[in-house]
Amino acid sequence: MNAPATLAAGTRPPARPSSDWTLPRPFGLRTLLVLCALLAAGLFAGQRVELGRMLSLTGEGVLAAVGLREQSQVLSGLGTIARSLFPPQVSERTEVARIEGFDRERLPWFSHLETVETREPRLNPQTLAMEERVERREVLVQPLGYLWHVAAKMLETFEIAVWATLIAIVLSAPLAWCSARNYAPNRLVYGAARAVVGLLRAVPELVSALFLVLAYGFGPIAGVLALALHSAGFLGKFYAEDIETADDRPQEALRAIGAGKLEVMRFAVLPQVMPGFIAYTLYVLDRNVRMATVVGLVGAGGIGQELKGRYDMYNYAHVGTILIAIFLTVLLLDRVAARLRRRYG
Amino acid sequence: MLRFESVALRHADGTRALGGVSLEVPAGQFCVVLGASGAGKSTLLRTVNGLARPTGGTVRVEGTAIGPKTLSRIRPRIGMIHQQFNLVARSTVAENVLCGALPAMPLWRALPGLFTEAARRKACALVEAVGLGEEHLLRRVSELSGGQQQRVGIARAFMLDPPLVLADEPVASLDPQTSHDVLSLLRRQARERGATVLCSLHQLELAREFADRIVALRRGVVVFDGAPRAFGAQAFDAVYGRHADAPPADAADPAPAWQPPPSSPQPLPGGLLELAP
Repeated sequence: MNAPATLAAGTRPPARPSSDWTLPRPFGLRTLLVLCALLAAGLFAGQRVELGRMLSLTGEGVLAAVGLREQSQVLSGLGTIARSLFPPQVSERTEVARIEGFDRERLPWFSHLETVETREPRLNPQTLAMEERVERREVLVQPLGYLWHVAAKMLETFEIAVWATLIAIVLSAPLAWCSARNYAPNRLVYGAARAVVGLLRAVPELVSALFLVLAYGFGPIAGVLALALHSAGFLGKFYAEDIETADDRPQEALRAIGAGKLEVMRFAVLPQVMPGFIAYTLYVLDRNVRMATVVGLVGAGGIGQELKGRYDMYNYAHVGTILIAIFLTVLLLDRVAARLRRRYG
Repeated sequence: MLRFESVALRHADGTRALGGVSLEVPAGQFCVVLGASGAGKSTLLRTVNGLARPTGGTVRVEGTAIGPKTLSRIRPRIGMIHQQFNLVARSTVAENVLCGALPAMPLWRALPGLFTEAARRKACALVEAVGLGEEHLLRRVSELSGGQQQRVGIARAFMLDPPLVLADEPVASLDPQTSHDVLSLLRRQARERGATVLCSLHQLELAREFADRIVALRRGVVVFDGAPRAFGAQAFDAVYGRHADAPPADAADPAPAWQPPPSSPQPLPGGLLELAP
């Protein structure tokens, strides 16, 4: 339909034979020069971050692994870690004397008491002779005790992440509304909302957790808040972008019959952006579970706090259990998120 | 019912979309606005429900002038059918039709989607009336064909029994047979419910078949206003202009060339009516 219209308007320039036509080349000399410059800059930066040493050390490690070299710094370091993390700690032993209000009749499930004898040579002050003294201590053994402990901490971590995500959704909804250009009430609110969203995203969870721990004390509150604030910025930005780019035609149809802004948002925008919202939210949940373990390191509750404590006490077997627990949780969450996305995306 | 009083609209860049249109549409009429692309048909329709704001003149619906203050009250009384259907593609047919009842609901019912039983019944009745079945109710609109989508659009427009329905090129993206079906559906529904219809079209033969009255626009000005029978070769030239590359047969004998064969709903040779003015 367009071609005859242009013809009729008579705006077409005089035609050239197709042998004179040129098509643009995919790239030219300038592109090559830019690539060379980028390469040079990359090499310079690489030298500054010791990429060369990284390559040589890794190479040594590989050679040592296949038996072509005697030893390698990297490999022996990794070996030490692996040896100390393995086997992971499963059971928990507690001295009965150190349990407050211990009731011999009512032991925890699956636990038993063990008596440990320790013999140590001692100097008898009367006879001035060395004699062996036997010390008996009763120990409560819970075969799966530490595993339970880690599972409970992992659950706490997961709860921190879930609540952080929920709070983030609630906080980001008004932020997204105000920082979507086509729904913001006015330019001032739009600018302010954008600034808040940017600020929330600019502060890393770990940093805000450091300060929130000072304000709220050690424990999960600081973790939930730190994660929620950062995620709210993240979700606010992405929700707003989806709202802005949603198809305007259904929105216009509802505006035309007199539906209000909230109704248009609910019935014309939300159904369109729902797959995106679900994908972002699941990503944020996934990220929050991983970050919840990290903010624990600064004392904001969850398994991170446990990890930090055990690491500082050189209990590497415990650290091994914790790492395996985190890995399994992230793996599981990944599968669940993929399934949810397939179903509702 | 609907009155345009020298309605003019000039875009911000200075182009004139409407140059003083005065028109009165009595209640119950099926009035077709005819014109080439860019003649101002859509703009004229959009001034009625405030999607476009005229820079001069007034539009009155049932005696009330359209303005920022009256808009929220008048809009629910005007149904609208769109060229691109303007449905929510990911929502179901039922949800899209029910959306037509939103302006009549309090917000606390609307947001959680608590439509009244009456609205639900009405939606089902309308889906049936536009020729869709129960099996379509919960299908996503994106799974339907173009003709079926426009049927959903018509059902949505009639949800609140509006006394006035605007149809902005309702069949522009449909094939000839479907266009015919959809327009006859629209006309029948409007008749049954006593609604006035202002429908823009660019296909002359469809306008002739369905209109009670044809109003033809060219560059934002009414160049023909009358019964479809009166729309002859002269009117055609006034609307679409004489053009160099019309088929020779038409140029030689224009008058009968524009009569569509009575039995066939086929449109005129493609491209002819789409020419830019």
